[in-house]
Amino acid sequence: MEALQKLGRMPTGLAVPAFAILLVIFGIPIVQLFLISVNAPSFSVVNYRAFFEQGATVFVLFQTIEMSVVATVVCLIIGYPTAYLIVAAPKSVRTTLIVLVFIPWLTSGLVRTYAWTVILGDHGLINNLLLHLRLISDPLPLLYNRLAVYIGMVHITLPIMILPLVSVMQGIDKSLMAAARSMGARPSAAFWRVFFPLSLPGVRSGTLLVFVVCLGFYITPQALGGLRDAMLSNFIAAQLASSLSLAPIAAAAFILLAIAVVMLSIFGLDVSGTPHETAQPLRKSSPYRLRALGRLLQYLYEIGIRYRANRWTVHLYQPIGNSGRSKIVGAVFVLLVMVYLLFPGLVVVIMSFSAGPFLEFPPSGLSLQWYRSFFGDPSWTLAFWDSLQIAVTVAVLSTVAGTLAAFGLSRTYPRLRVFLMMVILTPITLPAIVVAVAAYLGLINLGLIGTKAGIVLAHTILAIAYVVVIVAATLANFDRRLEQAAKSMRAGPVRTLVRVTLPLIRPGIIGGAVFAFIASFDEVVVTSLVSGFSIRTLPLKMLENINQQLDPTIAAVGSLLTLLPVLWLIALYLTWWRSKLKLQGASANQIA
Amino acid sequence: MNVYVKSTIPLAEDAALEKNPVSAEIEFCNVTKMYGAVAAVKDVSLKVRRGEFLTILGPSGSGKTTALMLLAGFVAPSKGDILISGKSVAAVPSYHRDQGIVFQNYALFPHLTVRRNLEFPLEMRGMKTANRAARVERMLERVHLNDFGERMPSQLSGGQQQRVALARALIADAPILLLDEPLGALDRNLREQMQGEIKALHKEFGKTTICVTHDQEEALTLSDRIIVMRGGRIEQTDAPEALYDRPTTRFVANFLGEANLLEGSDFKLECEAAQPSATVAMIRPERICIVAPAAPKRADGGQRQSVIGTVDDMIYAGPLRKYHVRVGSSILTVREHVASGQQIFKPGDQVRLEWLRSDVRFVAD
Repeated sequence: MEALQKLGRMPTGLAVPAFAILLVIFGIPIVQLFLISVNAPSFSVVNYRAFFEQGATVFVLFQTIEMSVVATVVCLIIGYPTAYLIVAAPKSVRTTLIVLVFIPWLTSGLVRTYAWTVILGDHGLINNLLLHLRLISDPLPLLYNRLAVYIGMVHITLPIMILPLVSVMQGIDKSLMAAARSMGARPSAAFWRVFFPLSLPGVRSGTLLVFVVCLGFYITPQALGGLRDAMLSNFIAAQLASSLSLAPIAAAAFILLAIAVVMLSIFGLDVSGTPHETAQPLRKSSPYRLRALGRLLQYLYEIGIRYRANRWTVHLYQPIGNSGRSKIVGAVFVLLVMVYLLFPGLVVVIMSFSAGPFLEFPPSGLSLQWYRSFFGDPSWTLAFWDSLQIAVTVAVLSTVAGTLAAFGLSRTYPRLRVFLMMVILTPITLPAIVVAVAAYLGLINLGLIGTKAGIVLAHTILAIAYVVVIVAATLANFDRRLEQAAKSMRAGPVRTLVRVTLPLIRPGIIGGAVFAFIASFDEVVVTSLVSGFSIRTLPLKMLENINQQLDPTIAAVGSLLTLLPVLWLIALYLTWWRSKLKLQGASANQIA
Repeated sequence: MNVYVKSTIPLAEDAALEKNPVSAEIEFCNVTKMYGAVAAVKDVSLKVRRGEFLTILGPSGSGKTTALMLLAGFVAPSKGDILISGKSVAAVPSYHRDQGIVFQNYALFPHLTVRRNLEFPLEMRGMKTANRAARVERMLERVHLNDFGERMPSQLSGGQQQRVALARALIADAPILLLDEPLGALDRNLREQMQGEIKALHKEFGKTTICVTHDQEEALTLSDRIIVMRGGRIEQTDAPEALYDRPTTRFVANFLGEANLLEGSDFKLECEAAQPSATVAMIRPERICIVAPAAPKRADGGQRQSVIGTVDDMIYAGPLRKYHVRVGSSILTVREHVASGQQIFKPGDQVRLEWLRSDVRFVAD
């Protein structure tokens, strides 16, 4: 009882708005969904049995798992050496590379998928080039097959593999490798006996994240794959569009959810055993993405502090062998990965400025005609304004609710915090299609299907997760004694918050808002389910056009969707950089 | 201790600060603070006089930090009461109390300049802007940071940050000053310098000051009185010299400086008084003289005891030389100041140890 009263006095209550939204849009519907899937109140497994008795659905299920496993393995094979080489690179190069990996992660997956249709299509970049060089007489069937889907999936998930790997590898004390070598270990032995075991937590989080994201893939198989390359998400979305009964859909969603949850609980919950993680209780407590994101913030900080003394040990004990040839091989490898990650987005942006009557690459001339056609077409501008309005509303709503929640959670019992943090992260941890179906049901409950308010709420549960992650990471670095200091100088709780706490965590709040905006502006899976044909957001309209392949204007749309987040990112970086500068002191050498 | 040097900063030029007394009296009445089932502070009673400099000394986990948190109002006692100038403040949150605190890592607001940091407590007390500026200026001058007002805290050295923290704690003229490990973050030379500074500020402002530390040297140099805490309880309270010279328990004897505890030794310790039961005889290493066995005995009317032993090892430490001497089955530590013409003993040398019988103390086991 006393504990309960104490809890009431803590600012945990600040988390209520965020959890209320989550409960209404996601929590209650997911329970409902489960009840529907078991035909409550009669409770039977008939829907699940039906799922497994149908050859087609079982086929799709196994195909989903197979494709997810293949994509994850390929990601790991490409991602591990890439992360290793990034960490081994000199500091300035390293920071640049991390940002280059980070940028595609932030830009719209839809646009990047579209880019592959442009590159791989019958009249796409590769075929045109080969035809032009007269190496082939007919276009190669590069698109609409399994390989294209893998290319697209790996392209989208690779950053999610690399970033956690880099963050863990950066935390590995390089002197350990030197120590191993001083004890007579050859470089390869030092790597396999020391570095690799220590990097396993990164392998685990990266693999897990990628796998769960892959399970929920929806657009990529649809846009790049053939008819036989459908995944469970496509099946669920198709059912939702055609079928009247929710029960089979609910069962399918829960089967997908079950796979994700089993994977997460087997490999995800054990976060012990890595020294640098235990040093950061908050990061340890909240899995995967939180850790990755917290680190991401640090990367962005790091760009700004060039003047900081170089960590000479890093240079001295670079884990990679120093022979010239291995350096060149490494550099070429990283270059290829970067091209793979960045080129498709770049193609879209460049192509959108082409002057010809069709999309072409490289463009024969530069013009803004596709942008003119974009801004001249009311259906596009309407979609743009709708997207903008929705994204701004989501950003405001989720930043307020998310910041309050992060603040409340930072002041509660550690165990409760871990649990609540996991709950609030579920919308971005589970396969997107499951969240989408739940949100669909939630909005039906509220009668908000096909309204802007409905889309805003559905996006908000995703965006809140990002805001909470980023603000919580900032709060974890915030020295609570500063609040005590303020209070000891007669500042009450409110004045302490306004004068001390908020100004100091402002970079985190702004970062959260930017992420929330981007998350909403790019969102397409959830939106496609809950928009109910009456509202077309920009990505949604673009998705339709990708399938129809009619309007070259979508290159301009894709370019806007790519550039806007990047612009935001630059703005965000400048904000952080400035505040960092201010806190660090403009000139380190003034410190006597 | 009841005479105060009037602060060189004229006080109370603003209504907001008018009622402040120079210092206040603090009293702990049977204060207990529980964290779950663990008592961080157990039934502690103490009284701090007006203008006194009191240090709470103890190892980590002794409850000294909790004691400070209770004083500061960041935690409320589970049992007992805390009185400031006779009024109970146990339920008063810190922001309604009137005190200045220097935090362990200073807790200077990193987003505010030095000037703004100093203005903060004045602003919170509703002082007028015009009056603030002049006061900040004088305070900066007092801590020799005149030109540093526009710097950010991160642009200051450790010692400068420390002085800003002190200035910020003193500027609002609160009657109580709390110091939490004030010198812990500084290197040795700077620490000595800042000890002098803190002493001077205490003398000048006359605040009732409570300092929490685990550093015995800091405690001995700064305080009027020291409280040694152990396991949440007060082990001993005394003036620095009395505490060092006459520790009442084995814990205090060991925690403050080095002690030779003579238990189960082969030789009979000769003392002036009879040894009380359940005590251990103790003698400080610097009270023992080390001489060659053949050296002439001083004629002192039998006030000294001497024993013969063998040097185990010798440790040279600048101004001091430390010997470990084996006497029978026990080893005695002897410390002597390095002086010219002194005989230096090597391991294996036979030596004679001498001490005054009156220098032997008995401490509770």
